[in-house]
Formats: sequence, C-alpha cells, structure tokens
Amino acid sequence: MTRIDVGDGENTRQGLLTLVITVVELLLEAMQREAVRRMESPDLSPEEVDRLGRQLAAIEAEIEQLKTDEGIEEGVDDLRMELDGLVEDAIARLDVDAESLEHPGQAVIGGDDDGS
Amino acid sequence: MMMAPEQHQPPSLEHGRYVYCVVDASGRDLAASTPTLDVTGLEDEPVRLMPIESDARNESRESSEPTPAAVVHDCTDVYDTDDMRQIKRWVVNHQRVIDAAGDQFGTPLPFQFHTILRGTDDAVRHWLREQQQLLIDALESIAGRWEYRIDVIEREPPSRETLLARDPELAALQSQAAEASEGRAFLLEKQVEQGCKRLRKSRHTAVRDELQSTLADHADAVHELERRPGVDLGGVFETDEMSDGDSICRFSVLADDDAASTIGTALDEVAAKPGLEVRFTGPWPPFSFAPTFDEEGPA
Repeated sequence: MTRIDVGDGENTRQGLLTLVITVVELLLEAMQREAVRRMESPDLSPEEVDRLGRQLAAIEAEIEQLKTDEGIEEGVDDLRMELDGLVEDAIARLDVDAESLEHPGQAVIGGDDDGS
Repeated sequence: MMMAPEQHQPPSLEHGRYVYCVVDASGRDLAASTPTLDVTGLEDEPVRLMPIESDARNESRESSEPTPAAVVHDCTDVYDTDDMRQIKRWVVNHQRVIDAAGDQFGTPLPFQFHTILRGTDDAVRHWLREQQQLLIDALESIAGRWEYRIDVIEREPPSRETLLARDPELAALQSQAAEASEGRAFLLEKQVEQGCKRLRKSRHTAVRDELQSTLADHADAVHELERRPGVDLGGVFETDEMSDGDSICRFSVLADDDAASTIGTALDEVAAKPGLEVRFTGPWPPFSFAPTFDEEGPA
C-alpha cells in the first residue's frame, strides 16, 4: 500500500502544494508530448507551432519558479519517482502470479480447535 | 507458505508444534525417538527433529528417496506482539534454526516465520504422512541447491551526449533545434528529451531480458521479483535502501554451486557495463522455491 502523505500542521500547505504541482507537471508533460506529435502534422502552421512551443515553455518556466520559491523541488521529484514506480509495478504485476506477491502472515495448519 | 484468513485475533492454541523447516533425514540414525538439533529456537525453546514414521517411509518407497523430517519445537501459544523489535528477534531466531538445520542436513525446505501445526506430535506425523509426496518432491528439487538473489541497479544512466552520439536521428533533431524559432526549438528540445528517455528505458529492458535468459540457461529455476523490495517479514534477505540509483531488475534463482559460480561470472559482465551495479547474494535457504501447502490440515 502506498500512501501519499501531505503532512500535518504547517507542513500541510507545502505537502498539498507538492501534490498539486506534481499533478500539474504530469499534465504539462502530456501536453508537451501531444504538441511534439502535432508539430509533425500539417494541421499547424509554423507560426502556430512556434506559439504553442512558447506557451508551453512559459508554463514550464512558471512551474519551475514556483517550485524554487516554495522549496519543493525535491518533494516533487520524490513524489514523481514514487508514482512512476507505482505505475510500472502495477503493470509488471499483471504478469506476476498474484500468489507470489502475498506477504507472509500467521499460519496455523489444521483443526478448528486444539486436539488431535 | 500459506496464509490464514485475515483476522485481528490470533488463533488460540493449546498444543501446537512450531515448524521451522523440513529436512531430508535419509541415511541418518533416527533410532533415537526425538533427535535434537544443536540450536535453540524462539524464546530458547529446544528444537527437535521429527522424521516421518518409518512405516510410512518404507511403504513402497525407493530407498534413495528423501526422508522428510520436520524441525519443530513445542508451543502452547502463538507468537504475536506489536513490538517490532521482538518480532525481529523471533525472525532472526527462526532463520538461525533453519541455517543450523541446513548445515546439518543439507538444503532445508524453509517455512515462513510463524508456521504452527495445531496439535501434538501426532498432528505432525499425520501432516508429514499426508504431505509425503509433496515434501519428497520438494526436497528432491532443492537438494544440493540454494537460493541466490540478484539486483541490478543503475547508478548512473547514460548521459545525453552518449545517447545522441549513438542515435543519428536524435542528433539531427538537436541540430534542427539550434536553427528553429524559439517556440519550435522548445518542442524539438522536448522531443530529444523524450527520445533519450526512451533509449534509457530500452537499455533497461535489454539488460533485464539478456540477464533473464542467461539465468534461465544456468539456474534450475528463476523468479523475477518486484523491483522495489517490500516488507520482508522473512527478514533474511538484504533489503537496504537503494539510496542512489534505479532498480532495473531483481531475480531470485535456485542453483547449485557450479551454476552459482557460472552465474557470478555472467553477472560480472553485466556489472562491467557503464553505470550499472550488480548485487549477488546467497546462498540462502530456498524460501522463494518452497511449495505452498494446502491449509486443509488433519481432520
């Protein structure tokens, strides 16, 4: 079980901001991938491609600035790494026999009550 | 080995036998009714060897077959506490008994921490008899073999320069970016970054696939493990944090001494690749290769 801890008390604001920025970053990356794909298509004029690129660059710069100002660069990196791992492991798990992932537990073999 | 259903209350117990492992006691003098082992168990309990009854053993059995014998101690209570240090001590103790049994009888069939057979010695005998074929097959499959664990960690991914030098297409995009308008250059730069990420990922896949096939060639069995070590209640494997690096793959293999040394040599080649580190640990008792027992016990 992976839990995202946004902290408590004074840390809450920073924790929450870390979470929000991480999500925004992931969204921005998805947009950048889509923009790269469209760059190749004939639908967009060179001017439109340039404008799209500038806008995305501006958003990225804004997010970077925000991370620096709030001192959450490391927190965002860590959270992203965890999320990456979570997703990849979830995909990997599809191939693995669920049984082999069970954690050890108590085992008492036999009988409902004592006596044999 | 097997799990009890989720429950908050530990099962109650009047008589039980805590089982550490099952060993092959063939060729040993089992005349003494309860041979002891030179090691104490959880809470310093004396540990005994309980071989399968000779009647069951001789019944249409090949003499070369293993003789399953359970390594047990008598218990009247389950081992349950919220104190993690106490649990750790028990787990280490559990492991020590299995190691001692391995030293004395060869590769043991290890049981998970806290496996208890409900009942008295009769219950153990009954269980050994019931599981006889499974135990014999399992002991045969692990005889002379041990478990080894392999972790491949990337300490330093290939640099952007290295990747561009290898991939002319990416290098061309990079040159285009130098001449493009500001917005387009930004997108081209992103495209190069994405390309580098893809190349790094395909290197991981290549390393993992190649290693997996090498292991399959030499080991008797190979399991691929989750890349992030979870909480290992067995507590026997080194699962210290990878402070700095990306886990590429983790395997556990069952291998004899010769195969282990061949695998070690193959791993040296993997470790020689730039930025990669390989951890090869063992021999361990074959926890990952022990069979699952049916929870249906003696009636």
